[in-house]
Amino acid sequence: MRIRPVVNLHTANRFTVIGQPLMIMSFSFAVILVVGIIANSVTSSASDLTDMYQGMRWNGAIFALLGPLMGFGIAAMTQYFPLATGLGLTRREFARGTALVFLGLAAIFTVVVTIGKVIEEATTGWGLHIRFFDVFYTGVGPAWQTLIQTFLVISAFMFVGAAATTMVNRWGQFSLWILLALFMLAGLCAVMGAILNDEFAAWLFSLLSMGWVPWMGVVLAIGIIGAVAWAILVRRAQAR
Amino acid sequence: MLDDSRPLFVQIAEQIENDILDGTYPEETAVPSTNELAAFLRINPATAGKGLNRLVDSGILYKRRGIGMFVATGATRQLKESRQTSFAAEYVAPLVHEAAKLGISTKDLIALITKEAQS
Amino acid sequence: MTAISTRDLAKTYKDVRAVDGVTIDLEPGRIYGLLGRNGAGKTTLMQLLTGQIFATKGAMTVFGENPVENAEILAQTCFIQESQKYPDTFRARDVLTVAASVYPNWDDSFAGRLVDDFRLPTKRLIKKLSRGQLSAIGIIIGLASRAPLTFFDEPYLGLDAVARQIFYDRLLSDFAEYPRTVVLSTHHIDEAANLLEHVVVLDEGRVLLDSDTEELRGHAIQISGRAADVDAFVANREVIAQERMGGLASATLIANEGDQDAAQRADLSVSPVSLQNLIVHLTTDAQRSTVTA
Repeated sequence: MRIRPVVNLHTANRFTVIGQPLMIMSFSFAVILVVGIIANSVTSSASDLTDMYQGMRWNGAIFALLGPLMGFGIAAMTQYFPLATGLGLTRREFARGTALVFLGLAAIFTVVVTIGKVIEEATTGWGLHIRFFDVFYTGVGPAWQTLIQTFLVISAFMFVGAAATTMVNRWGQFSLWILLALFMLAGLCAVMGAILNDEFAAWLFSLLSMGWVPWMGVVLAIGIIGAVAWAILVRRAQAR
Repeated sequence: MLDDSRPLFVQIAEQIENDILDGTYPEETAVPSTNELAAFLRINPATAGKGLNRLVDSGILYKRRGIGMFVATGATRQLKESRQTSFAAEYVAPLVHEAAKLGISTKDLIALITKEAQS
Repeated sequence: MTAISTRDLAKTYKDVRAVDGVTIDLEPGRIYGLLGRNGAGKTTLMQLLTGQIFATKGAMTVFGENPVENAEILAQTCFIQESQKYPDTFRARDVLTVAASVYPNWDDSFAGRLVDDFRLPTKRLIKKLSRGQLSAIGIIIGLASRAPLTFFDEPYLGLDAVARQIFYDRLLSDFAEYPRTVVLSTHHIDEAANLLEHVVVLDEGRVLLDSDTEELRGHAIQISGRAADVDAFVANREVIAQERMGGLASATLIANEGDQDAAQRADLSVSPVSLQNLIVHLTTDAQRSTVTA
């Protein structure tokens, strides 16, 4: 089993794998900092700043980091897979090595995010009452929760991205549209159900506040479904 | 040097024969190895080897284990004899055929040959 | 044991029979030519043999085993295809680094010399390289990997005559030192003909010709002369191409023993037909016919 060459394949250009996402993240973080500085210069009311600190729990600037990482899952299939098969690596070897790289990258960036979050918390938002790392998507609880949550979210992103791309490889773009349409249909059904049935609406709403552990279960499940689907699909993927 | 009319190995064998006849490779000296020949002529080594082996089979070259191929003693004489045998068919016949087409009589042809040889 | 063996191998895309019942046996340690027009199925066949795509039907073995998902076999094959995709962010040296870690026989110093030979800028992004430089990457990997089975798919698109000559020279000298099976697919048949020990010609996914190159040399002749003489001569002979200009005609035909002399006696001029022309004639639509060599 030639796992090392596959890992080399993904990490041959370290700047792309580690440097580029960090750069985009830094840029996005700088924007948030500027916003924070402006906000702090406009108002010095403690309640305003506390409101901002609370409100920014939902800001998605961190997706500047998470987004490219999902892109990594897609690129693994569109750009790295053809070269891997071209170099005589088997699909099984590629899948295992790539999964290892996914998890490794997720771990590295999880550590980065968690460190950022700890500092952010300790300094009450970098002294500016802003949030970048310590947000809803990465976990606003204790640091160990952020560690788990960020790792799960990034991994799930990568595996789902890889699975979706492999689906396109196997059955064309149309298959992806159908899948997305099915999801949208399900969502629409849920909304319709909630409108027509108050009890169902109440149940749906309760899901939102079901707590951290069940939510992590959901993310884990999505990640595992993505990983398994990808592992199965990639076994019959062809070079294009 | 090499053309498409006949198998390459035949042409290679002939070329080495020519080199032996004109003294490029005297008797009991080494001829180029298969790989040298292949690299120099930019041809497949198997083809080059086939050309050399053709000469080994006819006794023009012989192998010395681990060293290479050498021109056999008497190779020059042997080559001249066999070339003389085919001379009539390869050179005289086309000459006579062409002369007849141009209306040159046998007598005139002989005169032409004598003149050419003397000049 | 054969290096490559296929039996009735086929690959069908929606409505195209890219490879259509190919049966060939290639011996190890030789240089093969895989020839044919664009779309003849050459690349598809090589993709099948390296497990990059899956066959629709038929069987194949590489060094005696099915190559599909077979790490042991695939580690012995190298196939950088003409349209190989590379990650957007890759520089040439990134590919070479990866190739070095994939191939057990990789020779790093040889790769370095080849980089110099082809003047490959290794620090530039691959997507910014010229077609010729892209081809150079494939050639360097193909040669330096020293894989027991190496495929070169149109290895020198965009390369100038000098670079092509370098490729031939390096291939021959390295082949002499490290014999292996080489399958070379190319359109530059005349240039490469002397390198090939055996050729397989594909046409519309089928094997049109599978023969030793030496047997093909002199296999066909072109005769020309008065139309009436040509017509008389070609009757009962296997003609693969014919042309007429006023009272003159020329014909390309499969030469049998003694045909050349017979033609000369019939006052026809005879000229050899190069491998390239032979294949052009055989794969031109109007003339297509299967010949036995």
